[in-house]
Amino acid sequence: MNTYERIDRDLSDRDFTVVGKSVKRSDTLEKVTGTARYAGDVALPGMLHAKMKRSNVAHARIRSIDTSKALALKGVKAVLTHQDVPRVLHAGSPHPRSASVTRDQYILDDRVRYWGEGVAAVAAVSEEIAERAVALIEVEYEPLPGLFTIEAASEPGAPPIHENGLDRNHVLPPVFVTRGDVDKGFAEADLILEREYDLGRPTPAYMEPNVCVSQWDGNGKLTMWTSTQSAFMVRGTLAEVLGVPLNKVRVVVDHMGGGFGAKQDLFQNEFLCALLARQTGRPVRMEFSRKETFLGGRSRHPGKIWLKQGFTKDGRIVAREARVTFNSGAYGSHGPGVTNVGTAALTSLYRCENVRLEGRCIYTNSPIAGAFRGYGVVQTYYALDLMMDEAAEKLGFDPAEFKLMNAVREGDIAPSGHPIVGHGLGDCIRRVMEETNWHELRRREKPESVKRRGIGIGCEMHGSSAYPGIKEQGNAIVKMNEDGTVTLITGTAGLGTGAHTALSQIVAEELGVPFEAVSVVQGDTDIVPWDIGAFASHTTYLGGRAAQLAAADVRRQVLEHAAPLLQAEPADLAIRDGFVVVTSGSNRSIRLSEAVGPKRGMPAMQLVGVGTYMPTKSYSFAAHFAEVEVDTETGEVAVLEVVPVHEIGRVIHPIAAAGQIEGGIQQGIGHTLSEDYVIDLTDGRSLNPSFVDYKMPLSMDMPSIRTIILETAPDPGGPYGAKGVGEDPIIAIGPAIANAIYDAIGVRFHHYPITPEQVLNALKSKANETRQ
Amino acid sequence: MKPFEYYEPASLAEASDLLRRLGKDASIIAGGTDLLVEMKEELRSVLHVVNIKKIPNLRNFTYDPAAGLRFGALVTVREVETSPHVIGNYPNLAKAVSLLGSVQVRNRATIVGNICRASPSADTIPPLIADGASLSVYDGGADRTILLEDFFTGPGRTVLSPGDIVTGISLPAPGPTSGRAYIKHGRRKAMELATVGVAVSIEHVAGQCSDVRIALGAVAPTVIRARRTEDLLRGRRIDAALLAEAAESAMQEATPIGNVRASAAYRRDMVGVLTRRAIGYAMGGAR
Repeated sequence: MNTYERIDRDLSDRDFTVVGKSVKRSDTLEKVTGTARYAGDVALPGMLHAKMKRSNVAHARIRSIDTSKALALKGVKAVLTHQDVPRVLHAGSPHPRSASVTRDQYILDDRVRYWGEGVAAVAAVSEEIAERAVALIEVEYEPLPGLFTIEAASEPGAPPIHENGLDRNHVLPPVFVTRGDVDKGFAEADLILEREYDLGRPTPAYMEPNVCVSQWDGNGKLTMWTSTQSAFMVRGTLAEVLGVPLNKVRVVVDHMGGGFGAKQDLFQNEFLCALLARQTGRPVRMEFSRKETFLGGRSRHPGKIWLKQGFTKDGRIVAREARVTFNSGAYGSHGPGVTNVGTAALTSLYRCENVRLEGRCIYTNSPIAGAFRGYGVVQTYYALDLMMDEAAEKLGFDPAEFKLMNAVREGDIAPSGHPIVGHGLGDCIRRVMEETNWHELRRREKPESVKRRGIGIGCEMHGSSAYPGIKEQGNAIVKMNEDGTVTLITGTAGLGTGAHTALSQIVAEELGVPFEAVSVVQGDTDIVPWDIGAFASHTTYLGGRAAQLAAADVRRQVLEHAAPLLQAEPADLAIRDGFVVVTSGSNRSIRLSEAVGPKRGMPAMQLVGVGTYMPTKSYSFAAHFAEVEVDTETGEVAVLEVVPVHEIGRVIHPIAAAGQIEGGIQQGIGHTLSEDYVIDLTDGRSLNPSFVDYKMPLSMDMPSIRTIILETAPDPGGPYGAKGVGEDPIIAIGPAIANAIYDAIGVRFHHYPITPEQVLNALKSKANETRQ
Repeated sequence: MKPFEYYEPASLAEASDLLRRLGKDASIIAGGTDLLVEMKEELRSVLHVVNIKKIPNLRNFTYDPAAGLRFGALVTVREVETSPHVIGNYPNLAKAVSLLGSVQVRNRATIVGNICRASPSADTIPPLIADGASLSVYDGGADRTILLEDFFTGPGRTVLSPGDIVTGISLPAPGPTSGRAYIKHGRRKAMELATVGVAVSIEHVAGQCSDVRIALGAVAPTVIRARRTEDLLRGRRIDAALLAEAAESAMQEATPIGNVRASAAYRRDMVGVLTRRAIGYAMGGAR
């Protein structure tokens, strides 16, 4: 049984009418009735269906492609190969203001760099015919050596996968972060731990496969319906690569069935769909099969983390050194961002003045790793938190107390370079300990039974917004309607998290109107203000703050407008529950609709508020408690209970926030215990590109979750102090589980996912060691 | 999906005749939960689909304390799962069918369909073999009966020839001393293929085993009987030492492969653990 209602309001400096309430989501009805429109629902007269031909080799030059049989098939309208498409080098992670994008992709290249890369595309009158035509395309490959691991690709003299001027297949020059004097720190240490952590390859496995529909109008303007988190990035990249003016590209995305970060990239499909539509003069739709979402999708970065830390007997961390190496797969995508963010994260969470970090990202001939919830930090904090647990034991501290002692706090310099606001992490750890009777549980007897229980705590912090990697901006327009209702026009994308509901709550709160008075227009680059995309836990933080500013702007105009009607100064007026009221010396009021509506047959003046917000950074915190039960005969690990405590500044919609947390835990359990997209290291082939063999936990596998949300460290930049929550939960759960497994069976794993077979083998080795 | 021809015969005779004429490119559709997925993903080439749902008398479901359980080819997994007769008398089968796919799938899938698909990891097959099930097969002449454990010749392969139609399945009634269990090992609790499945059907009095049948799933090209292990147990008193011996023996009888789901060694280990546990559960031990 999961509980959401236990929301702590530790810091309420004002009463809210809409914010902090779990209002009925604005998209509930259309979703439960099946009328919500997703990109895949778009059906246009004369629409063709497209399919991609994907390579069945991991690294090769294309010697020739014979499309004649495909073109001869009845119903086929066009076939594109690398010879037919613009050859423009572009970035997979198209953030124009980011310094770290890697221009290393073509729409179609004369070379393939991973198994499953698109090499041609077909448009036909039906999907079935397109599929048959794809099978008729004959590609002759000239094999190149396959480099499937970081080790193989970063050997001196390894053949380059991309000609980017960097040696040993580096995606970007190594990232170095240094603070203090690490050598001096190690010299002072009483205990030095050094470990290597090995990271698996989970994939986001969003419910909605990548899909797009393209249509060109008679004026040469392209409309692209596509499932993307960053419509404006897609617009910019399409315009650039296809060589059309920006105002000739319109990107539309109404609803999305998830993206988890991965859908910030373009996936070859948008370009190919647009080109096929232009060539045939007909709308073209392309939808990935589930298999294609694996083959051509984006995974979390696998990799290795070497971590060494020095500790003193009194429980301080005096030195931290790390070498983080991520496997980028065949293209750069978000490799630079993930490497920077993941590596820099190791400066923080647990305080240490002397830090020397090195981050690398290496091309290999394997599937592309991209942006994925937790963005490099899942990996590095897994290593960091596991080592803290180990150090606590060796130094004789309780692991939770040890983490609390070292928890980052007010004024500490965050990975972004900003001072931390408040004591969020300490608050979360303390609350976990209180809530779970931590010390009592730790003292519990542990019988030597077949099934053994253990408890663990895992911690994390994560930035709301991608600053300083990307200079972001949120924009909103709030339009006052003549009946006193308002329309929020926002660029913020809706991945399915309830973002537009939260933004509407903020607008309602700021304007003093009921939640139901706010409607939202979103998802059309020709209409909504520019937006960088929905990622980096920033939709509420950034898009919400912009909406708040726009609402405040229109409120100011309304009050100026109403002042003469109420014979008062604007400063003495407020809007409450849809009325403009005089706040001092009188209780006069008029309906908002009277203030802004038509009068004596004269149309009302249109009032429009605009808000632009350029955030810096704030951090949210979490500590997760996990209890597991390990079957020592099968190696199976069951997660029995999770108590996530999150500090997010201000909760706008408690159920939606709790939903994010539960969803992150579900994904995190999968990453830690079962999910791994496996590549055959002899040929680069994907071994489990389907839900038959890529197993995510489902509802039956979910433990009881008691979510607790704290509001103890509100951020001055967020709307009403709110910070992000999207990425945090997936980071803390992994170490909580791994630490709980250690508590249960006395085996420390240094990798994920931790499979039953590995647990069993570790137990066997341990038994053998004991016997010897 | 490739184009195919679709047929709706009204009788067994018509269906059998049709299937014989169409040959190996034809497939029967009942629930369709496996077939349609395989056709859509082009894992299987099917040019002719023969729907048997218009044929009468394939939905019978009867239980008799003396004669046992008998049900027709169109009986769904969900009907079996929710039948009090199955829950009360064939708890291993009840358990196995409750673990097949999802409720939505079980509402359409048929037990006979799951059998004829002949997957080594099929959930329904181990308990049915352990319980001594047999199939009724129509081939245009008189019905013939095939013992389920003799039905499979390899992964996806059975003794059936074109024109043969499995019309139903029957299981002997359990005796008063019967104990039964099925354990599925998978990577998660639902919507999962068995990594290993072990079914046990045992006759026991006061801890003494008079007869036992053990079926192992997903650890050989077909579901297999662990006959040497059964021999080991028959006529003996079940205690911890014998269970350990049985576990070891079952591990030797299994010939698992390694793949992305689990290695061969791990599967073999699980055969041991699950066999020991399943015998214990069947003897009435705590789960």
